[in-house]
Amino acid sequence: MDWINDNLYFARALATALLLAPLCALLGVFVTARRMSFFSDTIAHSALAGVALGFWFGFSEPTVPMVVFSLGVALAILWLKETTALLTDTIMALLLSGSVALALLIRSQMKGFRAQFDAYLFGDIQAVSDGEIALAAVLCALIGGAVFWKLNSLTLLAAHEDLAHVAGVRVYWLNYLFVAVLTVTVSLSIRLLGVMLVTALIIIPTASARNIARSLRQQILLAIGLGVVSAIGGVVLTDRYDLPAGPTIVLTAIGTFLITWICAQMGWTNGRSPASRRSRA
Amino acid sequence: MDCPLCKHQPEGLPLAVEVNDVWVSFGETSVLRGVSLRIPVGQLVALIGPNGSGKTTLLRCLLGLQLPDRGATRLLGCASLEAALPRVGYVPQRLALDSSFMLTVREFLCLRLKQTRRWFWMRRAAIDRELRSRLPELGVHLILDRPLSGLSGGQLQRVLIAFSLLGDPELLLLDEPTAGVDSPGEQSFYELIANIHQRRKLTVVLVSHDLSMVVKHASWVYALNGVVCCEGTPEHVMNAESLKEAYGIHVSPYHHHHHGHSHDVPHSAGSAHGLD
Repeated sequence: MDWINDNLYFARALATALLLAPLCALLGVFVTARRMSFFSDTIAHSALAGVALGFWFGFSEPTVPMVVFSLGVALAILWLKETTALLTDTIMALLLSGSVALALLIRSQMKGFRAQFDAYLFGDIQAVSDGEIALAAVLCALIGGAVFWKLNSLTLLAAHEDLAHVAGVRVYWLNYLFVAVLTVTVSLSIRLLGVMLVTALIIIPTASARNIARSLRQQILLAIGLGVVSAIGGVVLTDRYDLPAGPTIVLTAIGTFLITWICAQMGWTNGRSPASRRSRA
Repeated sequence: MDCPLCKHQPEGLPLAVEVNDVWVSFGETSVLRGVSLRIPVGQLVALIGPNGSGKTTLLRCLLGLQLPDRGATRLLGCASLEAALPRVGYVPQRLALDSSFMLTVREFLCLRLKQTRRWFWMRRAAIDRELRSRLPELGVHLILDRPLSGLSGGQLQRVLIAFSLLGDPELLLLDEPTAGVDSPGEQSFYELIANIHQRRKLTVVLVSHDLSMVVKHASWVYALNGVVCCEGTPEHVMNAESLKEAYGIHVSPYHHHHHGHSHDVPHSAGSAHGLD
């Protein structure tokens, strides 16, 4: 494995992408089912304000303020939704634009750190540290494990909240837990893709999987698989042609979407996807 | 507000549902104003009333989905709702399932059964073996591969009933079960419910705005309009005079209206929308 030493940056980038992309894809199945795409976009943008505040207060690595600020915004969305008559979309638009405005205002006043700040805006996969990879690994194991542990409850929740309640799911807590997990995943994935593109990694793999999946099980497995494909494809292309990582990964993901969409149009899905072959074997 | 001709249900039987003086209001609008009712075990009871009469709100109170401002409810004689819920089946009006979610009928049913709770890791043959032995005969086994979001109204209702019956409930609560079903489908649906009620000896509470259909099958009817304004046997409640008193509207009984997917009550004037 000499190439790891030769290409430490490449290895780090690949490791991060391989940890976070499938995790985002897995959460994405439930995010799209519960129509929470705009929510994850709001979280991503609010993280930017966390980053700006982090640099402002002198953090050299603003991961902690970023996650804390995103969690604050996520809780604010839920709280405003419960206690006011405002539409959820309105609440999210308020917090999204407010956070971005705050972030840009702080950026304009910063003396240094602007390049580092912009790395969060557009993503900078080559800049990930070993600490961040370790964090991504822990996150991936914990959250991935939790999703599969609570798979039935999450599925019922996506199907019908009241039915889930009657079936014994603690709906209130599971809602908060899911939002917290999504928030942490999104804000840490910003390192990879940048604020503007991170939602793509949540939405596109599950949308691609949906094109050819015949069941939820297939959709989950395919989404994870396509997340991995997008990550590897994106990072390899980034390395080979010296491209920015975020856009390359996202365009690779869109490429897989187009392929699966064409497959669906041609009728190549009927029980012929890899997941179903396996389940029939 | 009690109808003078109403007979109350006999006392002394074990109760499946107990509602004591329940009040609920949303902002300025009070939806339930002191509702009390007692449903003995083993009955097929219909809860009827126009839109906005608080039928669905009352059902939500029973299931702990809505906290009453005042009053209390009790299911199956259990002290706490948590103790009662595992013995209760609930059939919601519809699923607002996003078509981006590929949950199949098979996978959905697996969620209700202990033996299939690890469905994600199970072979399909093993899942079907478990399901086949327990599925009620509703024709659901023919559509196990279909995604839930692509079912017709009638198919979805059968799947939802099968789902609730997999939990072996003692009490089955149905909320406007024919909302998305066409007229002939409606008739066979109520026959199906009556059939399940007879064979399984469970208590069924059916919320409906459709007076003419429930009358054939219910053993007891509560007419709701903020309060219980009339109760008794279907024949009694369907009596035009007593319903007229109850609703202040003209009702011609036993006349079935084709109102398709509309949620309006036939013949009701000025019913409130959006609260139900």
